Formats: sequence, C-alpha cells, structure tokens
Amino acid sequence: MRYTDTRLLDALASAYVLGTLAGGARRRFERLQRDRADVRAHVAQWEQRLGQLALSVPARQPSAELWRAIAARTRPVGARKTSSSRWPAWLRPAGFGLGGLAAGVIAASALFLSAPGLFLSSDQLAMRSGERLPQSYVGVLNDAQGQGRLLVSSLRHGKTLTLKVLGTAPLTGPAPALAADERLVLWALPADGAPFAMGTVAASGTQVSTLPDTSEKLLSKVSRLVVTRERTATPSAPSADVVLSGSCAKLW
Amino acid sequence: MNGHPPDSLQALLAGAARGDHACFAQVYERTHRHLFGIAVRMLGHEQAAEDVLQEAYVSIWKNAGSYRATVDGQEIQPITWLIAIVRNKALDALRARTRRGAHEQLQQLDDDEDDAATPQGTDTAPGALQLFEQAMHALRIDGCMAALEGSFRQSLALAYYQGLSHTEVAAQMNAPLGSVKAWIRRGLDKLRTCLTAQGVAP
Repeated sequence: MRYTDTRLLDALASAYVLGTLAGGARRRFERLQRDRADVRAHVAQWEQRLGQLALSVPARQPSAELWRAIAARTRPVGARKTSSSRWPAWLRPAGFGLGGLAAGVIAASALFLSAPGLFLSSDQLAMRSGERLPQSYVGVLNDAQGQGRLLVSSLRHGKTLTLKVLGTAPLTGPAPALAADERLVLWALPADGAPFAMGTVAASGTQVSTLPDTSEKLLSKVSRLVVTRERTATPSAPSADVVLSGSCAKLW
Repeated sequence: MNGHPPDSLQALLAGAARGDHACFAQVYERTHRHLFGIAVRMLGHEQAAEDVLQEAYVSIWKNAGSYRATVDGQEIQPITWLIAIVRNKALDALRARTRRGAHEQLQQLDDDEDDAATPQGTDTAPGALQLFEQAMHALRIDGCMAALEGSFRQSLALAYYQGLSHTEVAAQMNAPLGSVKAWIRRGLDKLRTCLTAQGVAP
C-alpha cells in the first residue's frame, strides 16, 4: 500500500478513528502513526471531528467499584502502602522510595559524623549542646473536651512534618468512628488566605511526611490548625465537621 | 501551566503526567460518566463497559504525558483525546468478542436495542441514528447533513456509536457490503464538509 498519497492517508485515518479499519490493516496503520507525524495529524483531525458525535450520548454512572479498581492499579506504591494515611499527592515525596530515603539517610549520616560543622548552624549547635530547642513550628490540637490530642511539628527551614497522636482514645471522640470513605484531614488556616490541607491524620502513632516547601514558607502566616472529618479524598476546603483545633506557634 | 486555569482538564492532565494522583482522580471525576455512557453504548453491557473504562483510565494515567494540546497547529480538546482512548479500547474489546465467537449474542442485543428505524422491546436507550441526529442538531449541521440519504447517516451512526464493522453494519441494515462501505465513506466526507463549514472542527 502506498502511504504517500494524502487522500489515502486521510481515508485510512477516518476509517481508523471510526473503527471500521480492522484487523491487520488497523495494526499496520497504528505502526505507521508511531513513525509519522503527518499520519498522527490526520488521525487527530478525525478524532476532533468524530469526537463531536459523542456529545449526544447520554452519560451513565458506573459502579463505585470501577474507581476502586482503577485507583488500585494507578495509585503510586508509596501511597498504597500507607493505607491509613492517604496524603494528598502534593505531600508525597516525588519519586523517592524508601530505598532512596534509606540510602540518603546513610550517606548524610556518614558525612554528618565526619564533618558536623558543615551542617550545623549556630542555632543547631546550641541545640546540640542542650541550650535550647531548634527553631520550629509547633502546634498542639485539642479535642472538644480540651484534651491535647495531636502534636504537629516541623523545623523552621525543613520540609518534614511530624504528627504525633497523643493518648489512646479515638480522635473522633464520642462521635461515630470514621466510615471507610472518611478521613481526618489537617488544615492550616493562614491569617490572610484560604485554608490549605496538610495531609490526613492517622488514628494513632507518629507519622512523618514531606512538605512541598519549607515550613517557613508554608506556615509563617498560620496561627491556627484544625482537623476535620472529610468524605472526599482531596477536599478543597475544610468541612464544618471540626474534630480537633489548636494554635500553631513559632518556637524561637 | 500552559496558560490554562489550574482546574481545567488540560491542567489536571498535566498534573497526572507529573504523577499527581489527585489530579488524575479529578480527571476521572469530571469525565467518567460521559465516557462510561459512550462505552456502554458501544458494548451494550455495563460490566464489559466497566472493564473497558478501567483499561482506558489506566492507560490515561500512564500516557497523560503524551496528551498534546495542539497537533500540527490545531487545538485538541482533552475530552476528544479521552474519547478516542475509550473508543479504541472499546473497539478492541468488540473485535476480541467477535473473534471469540460470542457475537451472535451481541448481535441479538444490538438488534433489540438499536434498530432506530423500528424501535422495539423495552429498552428505552436512544438508537444510533437518533443519537446521530441529536448530535447533528446540537452542532447545527443537521441542515447540511440532511443532503445525505438516510441509509448513509444510519450506516455511519451504527459504525460510530456501536463500533460495528462494515460487515456488521451490512448485516444489520440488510444491505450489500460494497454499498455500506461507500455510504460510510460518503458520510464521513459530508460530515467533514459540514463541520468545516460550521467552523466546529477542521
């Protein structure tokens, strides 16, 4: 078959997009597309034209199982492992598996032990000598009964956020426990802007995560933190269902 | 990014291409009902359509980086790109089903459901020709397309909405294969002329 004839290519592209180009001819045409930009352009044009026909097809709702199946096959491995803390994607350390983290820690520790002066500011040296705590952002969130339940901390110029759940009672208090599709989300409430999510909160223990920027950039104008109960995986604003709340303070 | 608002489908696809699963989740949330409708229409069966959509969205996640907002200087709407992926997966599933010989069953379903000229049975889903006419009306090219005979429009509609092959369209319309091929060819040409005249597509 000659593939230099524009009209022939255009006819093949239209049949390919419509679906009537079948069998071996379809596969040959797919290979041709991979190799030739002009062929892809013909296909793109026909996709643009025939795509208009799809607009009249009534929408339908598939089962909820469909998204679960897709998410199970697409969600990055790191996020899948920690099923109890589904952090928003922007909080996930990009492309940074546990192996890389361990190697980094080992390398950094070796260098640190051999030449601590390279790493330590005067503030950090003061901290090591026990004179004071490092410059950090710290938050303590209380439940409705005024009990401190969540400790939030992050070094001022660091990108690591640590959450520690205090006590053993359920964070949700006397309210019903979290349903399978619910989660607790930590929000920062800046004095001059919209609240932003800092991740989900596990039921117990200590969680460490990576921030998209230094805490100094993210938290310098934040004086309040809240934890809300959310039904969607990536809520854009906190729900009214506040479970914990507290202050965020600068420790310096 | 790329001058698109951060919550546009373009921007969300760009986010998915960077590995941002939350962006991908939003792409799904915005598009899955429409795409599921298209897949059900082609496959005539919800479970088969869910299987196709699952493959399609996994492919979208893996290939989000290959979406181009423009090809050869012309703008490609993200939904057009997504529809093409779903239709291709659905066509693959239909052809595989044909190869497996389960086709008589499907044909039966199609006959019951989609013979637009003589609607029958209890299925109230609009027939392929009806969907085609609705799309022509919405695009305001129904006048332009009316110059085509009904059999041209119906053969194109069966191929597009149900993913039928030439042979299957011929069988369904009880028409010679050669005629069906010519009708579809002419239908596509006319569609292009009308869309261009209306300024909706190249």
